[in-house]
Amino acid sequence: MYSYVPVSLDRKFALSDVLVLAAVIIGLYYFIDFARQGGAAFHAETPISLSLMALPKYSIYSLIRAAIAYLMSLGFTLVYGYFAAKSRSAERVMLPLLDIGQSIPVLGFMPGLVLGLIAIFPHSNFGMELACILLIFTGQVWNMTFSFYASIKAVPTDLYEMGNVIGLSWVKKFIKIELPYSAIGLAWNSLMSMAGGWFFLTTCESFNLGDRPFRLPGLGSYMALAIEKNDTRAQIAAVVAMCLVILFADFVIWRPIIAWTRKFRLEDLQEEVADIPFVTMLLRESTLVPRALEFFRFFRRFFQRPGRMRSIKPSPLVRAMNVKLPVSVGTGARGRKRRRLQIKDVLPKLGTGAAIVIVFWGFTRLWELVRPLQGHDWMLILRGTGYTLVRVVLALVMASIWAVPFGIWVGRSPRLTRVFQPIVQLAASFPAPMLYPLVMGLFIRFGMGLPIGSTFLMLLGVQWYVLFNVLAGAISISKELKDSMDLIQVGRSALWKKLYLPSVFPALVTGWITAAGGAWNASIVAEYVKYGNKTIVAPGLGSLISEATAAGNYPLLGGCLMVMVATVVGINRTLWRRVQKFAETRYRFER
Amino acid sequence: MEKPIIELKGINHTFTLSQGQKVKVLRDINLNLFPGEIVSILGPSGSGKSTCLRIITGLLKPTTGRVIVNGHKLEGPNSTASMVFQSFALLPWLTVFENVALGIEPLALPEEELRRRARKAIDLVGLEGFEEAYPKELSGGMKQRVGIARALVMERPVLCLDEPFSALDVLTAENLRKEVLNLWLSQKTVTNTLVLVTHNVLEAASLGKRILVMGTNPGHIRVSIKNDLPYPRDERSSGFRNLVENIHDVITEAINPETPEWVPPALAASAIEALPPVPINEVIGLVEFLQTQGGRADSFALAQTLAKDFGHILFLAKAAELLDFIDTPRHNIVLTELGRRFNAGDVNVRKRLVHEALRQLKLAQLLEERLRGAENYTVSLVSAVEAVHEWLPNENPNAIIDTLIQWGRYGELFGYNDDTKEIYLDLGQEHA
Repeated sequence: MYSYVPVSLDRKFALSDVLVLAAVIIGLYYFIDFARQGGAAFHAETPISLSLMALPKYSIYSLIRAAIAYLMSLGFTLVYGYFAAKSRSAERVMLPLLDIGQSIPVLGFMPGLVLGLIAIFPHSNFGMELACILLIFTGQVWNMTFSFYASIKAVPTDLYEMGNVIGLSWVKKFIKIELPYSAIGLAWNSLMSMAGGWFFLTTCESFNLGDRPFRLPGLGSYMALAIEKNDTRAQIAAVVAMCLVILFADFVIWRPIIAWTRKFRLEDLQEEVADIPFVTMLLRESTLVPRALEFFRFFRRFFQRPGRMRSIKPSPLVRAMNVKLPVSVGTGARGRKRRRLQIKDVLPKLGTGAAIVIVFWGFTRLWELVRPLQGHDWMLILRGTGYTLVRVVLALVMASIWAVPFGIWVGRSPRLTRVFQPIVQLAASFPAPMLYPLVMGLFIRFGMGLPIGSTFLMLLGVQWYVLFNVLAGAISISKELKDSMDLIQVGRSALWKKLYLPSVFPALVTGWITAAGGAWNASIVAEYVKYGNKTIVAPGLGSLISEATAAGNYPLLGGCLMVMVATVVGINRTLWRRVQKFAETRYRFER
Repeated sequence: MEKPIIELKGINHTFTLSQGQKVKVLRDINLNLFPGEIVSILGPSGSGKSTCLRIITGLLKPTTGRVIVNGHKLEGPNSTASMVFQSFALLPWLTVFENVALGIEPLALPEEELRRRARKAIDLVGLEGFEEAYPKELSGGMKQRVGIARALVMERPVLCLDEPFSALDVLTAENLRKEVLNLWLSQKTVTNTLVLVTHNVLEAASLGKRILVMGTNPGHIRVSIKNDLPYPRDERSSGFRNLVENIHDVITEAINPETPEWVPPALAASAIEALPPVPINEVIGLVEFLQTQGGRADSFALAQTLAKDFGHILFLAKAAELLDFIDTPRHNIVLTELGRRFNAGDVNVRKRLVHEALRQLKLAQLLEERLRGAENYTVSLVSAVEAVHEWLPNENPNAIIDTLIQWGRYGELFGYNDDTKEIYLDLGQEHA
């Protein structure tokens, strides 16, 4: 009765087939091209052409890097998030580690990854390519892992109990319960992660370690060279190309995926008929997809071992003894479960142990690294932290001043929301550092120095997190509450003070936390800006990190990172956690 | 005769759905509200009674027609009316006192006066001692008391109540209803005109001096019943029972007309009947239940036995009648021969009977035709909704399609794929 009538396969090829096929072929071509250059002889500083003709190729290279990094992030997320959520003891170590990882800016990973991987692959570009991909990975992975961990923790116990009653193995439970339950959060966070990965693209593809310059062919390097050569035309071209890459990823990858995850919603909300994304339509129209599925299904059937009943059958020993045992599904399932439980129990314990050892080892190494630092070095770091802290706070305040009213204003009107929501989403995905040189030009014209200007550069990147969250909060304000306020005829100011601002407060706090983390990370590029062949520096922790990396001063880099991680994690654990708890208990609607 | 405080003149209202179709929800509403009366507006869901209330309060501007308040045309929110909401509409971050005080905040009263008035309202609803509590600490009934206090503190002559007791359990609802009545009888407040929107017949009858029964497609006032029984009303008295009987007849006539309006035979064949928005399994439940009652029951008694809303029972009866499983002489429900066969059959027999019955329905026939003409016997949900809107311009096409899909799935006539948002013709029965 519920069977779905499949697309008939005897239909002739159509335009949709041609489009899908063309996309597959172009994708394959560039992927092979990319692999070829990655495997080429080692060349630390690949020459970059500023010709517009070269831009599409560079964009696709960068996209492929981001895509590979994303797949790694996804793999890491599924494994790490699962174990962190499943084992109490693992959780205690894994969660703080995640917190620390998230607060280390990309430059913190750079020297180790790049020098280490080049040492492992000294003769090909593979080491550098891998290092670059891993750097992008460090910009993507954290919030996906947090989201997946939180989703698994939130799976309703009913669903687990159902799984236990049926006798599902942990693998089946993972596939049938946990993964679908987390799908929506994972899809949205993937989109955010992609944006996080783009943020440091320029830094990841083109950088100096000590006196050694490194450069890989890609959009980020193109931009870096355009800045170095003071070529405004090329800079604008790179910005446009970046926009197109983001639009492409949004249109071809994320929209279809998010549309697809809608089917995993748990609640039966009466939803108005949603638009079907163009690409989903295309794939649906094309007969290639069902054909390919048919093909895979054939193979799966071919390899499928016969007999799902295997576990209920008595063992050969029992049969040999010719004893009739009351063989029931229950005992079979329980027996199976006991065997699996051991693996499941041991793995996290091993992981926890390994993690503790690694953390301990890391700390001793770090301590050795920063030992050469003198008292005045530490003073420098602390003063820099103070400066950067002030900038982060100012950036948050400025972002809130415009984004809160604007977000509420837009969110209250369905018409405006339809117009602005996709725009805000795209703006949030755009890597702000690519705009820095253009904005620097403005600063110089108006005579504003970087010490103040870098606050605006931070703002450029992080304001979207505030806006995005406030918008989401404003959309969900209940109609009846608004009606009751209208009837009382409370004034405009009371309406904002009593209804709008408190309603969006929990969402605003989430936005602040994300934005603050982003601002600390962004300080390494916002306080240290390349403009033409000059480098403009504002005193702060971020510029210290950048300078230390560029000069190859690893003890200073280590010290800066320690202080930054301690500051960010410390503020998260004390201030933000309390604010969030307050917002959740006081300002959250019950239903 | 006294002058009305609020007049609705020739109100029509049309909503635009997300896909741009227009659905008419109110047709030609004329209503006068007089000081000191309680008016109950009674009707099944979809009769536009809540919309009516939002027009009276000025929260919604009618598409056409005028609202006159004390002789002046209303623009914007109505400052002679306050409102109590089904979901309470309290701010969770304000205490009981602050929530109530919010009602008079725009008056910018001196602190002393504001406190006095808020305290008085809190006392009136019996919430003294809870001033500093937050809404989440209160039960549903207590929350609604806060909602009522917030409306009373505004000291506006008209109080609109939008299904105020339907989110509460039966005992709490009964208790709060009595208190609202006592408050009105005691005349301790300037709020002396009550407009109650409800789908509960007993509630409407025990409070209303006038009971307006609304009909659907589009929403309109069917009948206005005067109710001069003295307060407090005894639900067991013969007067009250006659009144309720009377209301039931009107509703039955509205939902399930005994003698349909006369239509020319040529048109009768093409008349399309909408499906009542009820799940098929409840329709089946009713048909099965009738069997246990000896194949015959009174619809009101049935509503009470099953603890269901009377209007809902009538919708179920109408649905079962459309399928020819029952007959409805007056407000009796009688199992037909087909209904008996349905009850006797196993699930396959039942599916076949529903399948055959559906194929006799004009609406299902139209959809089937449309599907047979389409590639793969499949059309998108959006185009099906548009088609239904063409066939039945006065109904909410989304609700109709939902019901059609649901019944069609049971009868194996239609199928629906939620991933692709497509409706297709189920050919299973044909090949069987």
